Amino acid sequence: MKKTTIRLRKNLLASSIIMLLSSGVALAKSDDMHQIYQDNCASCHGSDHGGYLAPALNAATLKGRSPTALRTIVMAGSFDTLMPPFYGKLSDDEIRGVIKHLQETPKQPNPAWTIDDMKKSLKVYVKDESTLPAKPTFQIDDKFENLIGVAARGKYGRGEGSKAIFINSATHQKVGEVATGTAAHIIDFNPANPRWAYVKTDTAEIFKVDLYSMKAVRSIKTGWNGPGMGVSRDGKYIMAGSFVPHNAVILDAETLEPLKTFELEGIDPDGKHVSSDSGMIIGTPYADIFAIALENAGQVWVVDYKKEGFPVTKIEKVGRHLHDAFLTHGGKKLMIASYDDSIVAAIDLEKRELIKQLPAGCVPHVGGGSAVVVDGRTLGFGTNFGDCDKTVVSVWDLDKMEVVKQVPVSGGTESPAAHANAPYVAVDIISKDRRARTVQLIDKKTLEVAKTLDVGGHAYFPEYSADGKFLYISAGYNGDEVVVYDSNSLQKVASIPMESPAGIFSRGRVKYMTRGLSPDEMEQHK
Amino acid sequence: MKIARYSAAMLATMLVAGNAQAVSLYVGQYKAGMVCAQCHGIRMPSADAPFPPLGGRDPEYLKTAIKQYRDKTRKSDIMNAIAGSLTDSEIADIAAYYGSVKP
Ligand code: HEC
Ligand code: HEC
Repeated sequence: MKKTTIRLRKNLLASSIIMLLSSGVALAKSDDMHQIYQDNCASCHGSDHGGYLAPALNAATLKGRSPTALRTIVMAGSFDTLMPPFYGKLSDDEIRGVIKHLQETPKQPNPAWTIDDMKKSLKVYVKDESTLPAKPTFQIDDKFENLIGVAARGKYGRGEGSKAIFINSATHQKVGEVATGTAAHIIDFNPANPRWAYVKTDTAEIFKVDLYSMKAVRSIKTGWNGPGMGVSRDGKYIMAGSFVPHNAVILDAETLEPLKTFELEGIDPDGKHVSSDSGMIIGTPYADIFAIALENAGQVWVVDYKKEGFPVTKIEKVGRHLHDAFLTHGGKKLMIASYDDSIVAAIDLEKRELIKQLPAGCVPHVGGGSAVVVDGRTLGFGTNFGDCDKTVVSVWDLDKMEVVKQVPVSGGTESPAAHANAPYVAVDIISKDRRARTVQLIDKKTLEVAKTLDVGGHAYFPEYSADGKFLYISAGYNGDEVVVYDSNSLQKVASIPMESPAGIFSRGRVKYMTRGLSPDEMEQHK
Repeated sequence: MKIARYSAAMLATMLVAGNAQAVSLYVGQYKAGMVCAQCHGIRMPSADAPFPPLGGRDPEYLKTAIKQYRDKTRKSDIMNAIAGSLTDSEIADIAAYYGSVKP
């Protein structure tokens, strides 16, 4: 997800509430306020006050802002965003106190989270895994492919509403849910053993989930925040990376015990030594490696997890502010988005070098990426977010590594979905107005927008079912449902209610590597 | 069920009469989604929230309640502020929409 600071919309309604916030003083103590902030706000705004899914809140960013206006936002929330209303959850005094605290507190230094902290945070919910059922305890296809996981954030980004919800995409029925305490953010499936999934939350806990019984069996806190997580092709290792602190860790996928941590730092493309956030982490089906992006250092590191000591090969000068990526060519090549120089960099994971930088529109954010084969060509699709003059989805020929077309779409986009059997590539429009309700569908053959769906809520994270027959979309924020469409007719076929749904992850991903490719493509590259 | 039939009937009247005062579920949905859902949700408020649910409630009740908040005969700091700026037709649209939602 994004970490850009979002401009606050002026809101008529919010300003009409201001008038009722004029009386009373009485402030609580600043320690209590620190605790209130950590318990209610930090998962979105950052425990270091430096921002995460939401803007940084500290003495510098809130300098000169009217406490009354800020209190209004905290009380009523910010409409059509993830900022929830704390009216009734915090008292008026607490809201006043926390605002005062924020306006007095500087951004904190990057707090540590060491391998010992991780070890201490390990929780075991099911001691003896042999007590777990041998097959799924609910109706699903024999290959266990029709499972779709949704990160239901919950309105407050924590609490009862926050869970990972699993759906059978043949019946569109919910088959299970796992409470995650804070908002679920990423769901990864074990490529070697279908029963395991891993759910990472906003606060960097990773849950090992038994999909057969829909139970969390263990969890560990790997940092303060940051979405990066990948699973190795043999299903034995997980690598996770954080924004806070600047490190990454390899875990044993069975026990979740941390095996080694990595300090993320290096020389950026402009020659400065920087400490870096972790960007995407990916395990590839082609080799026993993880690739991890160092956002600020502009490097991609390749880690050999089968070799003693987990040695790292560093690929430097990949781009300025790397973020997310997808695999092509049987997992031998990695296409990685770089925000600040508006490119997608192609990396050869075999030779461990940069192949080429391709134009990708402004602020490229490829989400999970997509690739489709059309008339013998393998085309990659990349979304962009940000306020740009021209909003496009970039299409690249992944064999020639060149731009085929930049398809105009109605706004900024965050995540493309494709499937070998479905005619359209779906992109979520995220521009902050009515367009945020919509998803546009690009015809694979003509490479033009064929249709716009009005999904409702803040529509994002489209995902096809493993067979490609259905398109799942989160009507997030206040939409509070996942909407299902027939992939061909684009008729709405089902709706699954849940609180503030976000990322959708099909278990099909493990068989087609990148969404849109067919499993046959994988075979050809072996 | 009764509520659903009621609002379907209302829609039908609207189509027949076609007058400018008729309720618009679409407008209601948009307003509800933009403003009210922030606290009340569409179908249900958040599991953790202190707000009453509106989805599937009797539209007449909702209309009356909102109007009471607007003219402050029913007191709630936050609802008085929010309802203060709503017009009669907005209230009718929103109430009809929430009434049509299955909780
Ligand atoms: C679920 C995520 C989430 C949680 C939890 C959350 N916020 Fe927010 N907050 C946001 C988002 C997203 C925005 C940006 C809203 C916008 O763009 O209008 C925001 C905006 C704000 C702003 C306005 C910032 C500005 O620069 O104008 C303040 C103040 C704020 N939040 C305070 C808080 C406080 C205090 C808490 C805890 C009591 C909290 N938030 C909890 C997501 C969250
Ligand atoms: C910032 C939070 C917030 C927002 C936004 C909000 N409400 Fe409310 N609403 C409340 C609270 C709190 C109550 C309970 C007030 C009370 O004690 O009477 C409430 C109560 C109500 C009730 C009374 C329900 C009952 O069971 O009697 C109605 C009707 C209602 N709201 C409608 C709306 C509508 C329509 C909107 C959008 C235009 C809206 N609300 C937006 C917080 C909110």
